[in-house]
Amino acid sequence: MNDWRVFLAVLRRDLRIELRTREAMLAMGFYALLVIVIFSFAFNADAALTARAGGGLLWVAFLFAALVALDRAFLRESAEASLTGLQTTPASPAAIVGGKFASSFLLILALEAVLLPLFAVLFNAPPATRWWGVIATMLLGTWALAANGTYFSAMSVHARQRGLLLPLLLLPVSIPAILAMVQATQVYLSGAGVANYWLKLLVGYDIIFTLLGLALAEVVLAVE
Amino acid sequence: MPSSFASPPDAPARESPRPQLAILATLALLLIALYWALIGAPTEATMGTIQRIFYYHVPAAFAAWMAFGVNALASIVYLARRSLKADAWAVAAAEVGLAFLTINLITGPIWARPVWGVWWVWDARLTLTLAMWVMYASYLILRQLTPEGSLQPRLAAALAIFFAADIPIDYMSIRWWATQHPSPVLFGGPDSGLAPRMLVALLISLAAFTCLMAILVWMRYRQQLARIEITRLRQRLALAEE
Repeated sequence: MNDWRVFLAVLRRDLRIELRTREAMLAMGFYALLVIVIFSFAFNADAALTARAGGGLLWVAFLFAALVALDRAFLRESAEASLTGLQTTPASPAAIVGGKFASSFLLILALEAVLLPLFAVLFNAPPATRWWGVIATMLLGTWALAANGTYFSAMSVHARQRGLLLPLLLLPVSIPAILAMVQATQVYLSGAGVANYWLKLLVGYDIIFTLLGLALAEVVLAVE
Repeated sequence: MPSSFASPPDAPARESPRPQLAILATLALLLIALYWALIGAPTEATMGTIQRIFYYHVPAAFAAWMAFGVNALASIVYLARRSLKADAWAVAAAEVGLAFLTINLITGPIWARPVWGVWWVWDARLTLTLAMWVMYASYLILRQLTPEGSLQPRLAAALAIFFAADIPIDYMSIRWWATQHPSPVLFGGPDSGLAPRMLVALLISLAAFTCLMAILVWMRYRQQLARIEITRLRQRLALAEE
């Protein structure tokens, strides 16, 4: 019960900071927008290309945006020793990491919700596209990125080259999830059937890595 | 394994068992393996001489997998007991494993080009190997970029446990993917059983590579312990000077 309240408090605080400063939202939103715009003319995107490679292009843009958001997630904590402050409270590390995960997840999702229509227009999404499938993949894939990303963001906050380390840790472990989200999005974008097994894989991945991240939260949060 | 690395400060350095004999034996084994790979084993009927790279390619992968297994076990032991010795095993195994996996990844395309006609295909096994190479490289980069002290082994162990959970999922996802896009050329390797003399060559080579891996891990482990000891002595010295 106490954990639940800590979780909600961290989540609410992070979202409030974001709503007031709009730092991450603006930075990562504009970044992802630039990626989508540049891809769309670099690849001369038409419906045929989108049906063939749109999944990969969309997720590269989303990945960049997510990395910007996740990098900031714990940066804010290291300023003014906020992390140390959190640790001196009796709150459980899992509740803190969970709250940070939830706020990153919602933030990235909100951004993707804005970017997806833009992508559909600039990339001339094929009429056969099954949007419910794309959106389901987006939810599950973003969950995977946010869960691992929050965890690795907490890890890399102590490191030299913090901003560089986060993608270096997140991307290798996320290979199966990235493969699944790109493939599933591709299937739904081209309207060529359903990708249930990729979605199932993402669900499994989400469950395993969310639990693992929470179980090991204490390991990354404790400072000497 | 003792729960911490703390020898009494003024005790003489423990004499380590001399590994010369084991090194010589491994060297001899490697030479025998080389003989069998180049001369002892018959030339493969369809692939020709290039198939002989198989006697280095497969044992390298085997040794790498074993080393990564050691890394995973040592990481779990570290988190359970916070023993710096366990962490020394973990870092030694990860570095040596990555080196062997690199041998595997380099010999693979050299063989594939003449036999398959392409350097690389996104086949399940190839992709998994590449993914693992990327993972353990990121493990070493993490160690490089985090300050020494209790933080580095802790974060590294957490990452190693993530890998252990990731590799089976990786394998599953890549298999689905690879079956969706069948590779242009079929694996024509000696799946269907080996000629007896080929099997001998392979087994000798497996033994030699495993011994080499064990010795390298052991040496790197000793080196890591020495490094911890040096850091500790430096700190004592700094304290004494104050």
